[in-house]
Amino acid sequence: MTARSVSAGFAAAALLMLGILGWLVSLVPVDNGAHDWAGSLNPGGWMAWTFPTALFFWVIAALLLTFTWAAIRFPETPRRGILGIATTRGDRLFVSLLGSAFICLGWLGLIGTPAWGGLAIALLYAAAVFRWV
Amino acid sequence: MDKPVNNRAWFLVLPVLVLVAFSAVIPLMTVVNYSVQDTFGNNQFFWNGLGWFQEVLDSDRIRAALGRQILFSAIILAIEIPLGIFVALNMPKRGFWASVVLVLMALPLLIPWNVVGTIWQVFGRVDIGLLGHTLAAMGFDYNYVNDPVDAWATIVVMDVWHWTSLVALLCYAGLQSIPDAYYQAARIDQASRWAVFRHIELPKMSGVLLIAVLLRFMDSFMIYTEPFVLTGGGPGNATTFLSIDLVKTAIGQFDLGPAAAFSLIYFLVILLISWVFYTVMTAQKDAP
Repeated sequence: MTARSVSAGFAAAALLMLGILGWLVSLVPVDNGAHDWAGSLNPGGWMAWTFPTALFFWVIAALLLTFTWAAIRFPETPRRGILGIATTRGDRLFVSLLGSAFICLGWLGLIGTPAWGGLAIALLYAAAVFRWV
Repeated sequence: MDKPVNNRAWFLVLPVLVLVAFSAVIPLMTVVNYSVQDTFGNNQFFWNGLGWFQEVLDSDRIRAALGRQILFSAIILAIEIPLGIFVALNMPKRGFWASVVLVLMALPLLIPWNVVGTIWQVFGRVDIGLLGHTLAAMGFDYNYVNDPVDAWATIVVMDVWHWTSLVALLCYAGLQSIPDAYYQAARIDQASRWAVFRHIELPKMSGVLLIAVLLRFMDSFMIYTEPFVLTGGGPGNATTFLSIDLVKTAIGQFDLGPAAAFSLIYFLVILLISWVFYTVMTAQKDAP
């Protein structure tokens, strides 16, 4: 596989992901002209999807695709950061996601809803992980 | 550390990913969907945001179960890992007795969890059980049905009986793979028994020991069947571990939302602790 064909493949995947996002938005129930963003995407159907949970998994899938593409396109060597363990970008993504989950849970437990503050701290934490770990 | 990583081989695991998707990922995604909604049955769901997560985090009952669970796993690891290593070191290395001991050690692992629970439930009974009756005859006030300490002791001993073999067999496999030359070199250097263990056997076992620690941690942290059969979580809530509490919420009360939020937090805790164990134990091996 050449770098060009890999990038073309991932460009197609990116288009597919955008298409899926558009499809998900189109499924959001509309009530009196207003979108009910928390409503059921498939009322009475399999897995009980809602737009926020679908978006959550869409973001995870998009991250995995991006990091896979980056790992193929820009091969890297693991590095040692402040934790003293060798990490690749994928490891740092895992540490970021796992830590973010606990940051958001901590926010919910200590401060409560809404949890946007927790999400903001989690994003800062993820940036720190990618910079220093 | 100067070798570039080539991730293209990941495409070869795609078939496994498809299988895992159906056995784990799709159910897990469904749990995420349930965790932010409420249902009154009939597959009708209503948005509840992060409410269930807050409820679970604020629940004293679940916090107590988490505390018990961490204590239980700590006790189990503190007993089973050293004991398993000790047993493995003393198992015969070759010959007829090696085979006999291997079969004997494997026996507890072959018994289904609910049968193990039943065996110990009967074994510990004061009226007809061998253990309970003997202890009572010796004057001990032992009763795992009424006394929380006795219930804990019985569950811990049961788990040690059931799973130490696994640690011992894994360590035994690790020990068997050490070439004789290492021991000969140690003899020439007049190394003490402790030095042989510390510098030859333990480092050579570290790979299998990592697997043993991870398996025993995850299994003990998710333990359900044996305590459920033995004590049913009692007396009171003394042996209600996380999984027992979770099953009561999910299936007993059919509270899918809180149970889903609870499961996700439970999953994250297991993932975090397993990652820490894995990272610490592999970092030691890779250390320059």
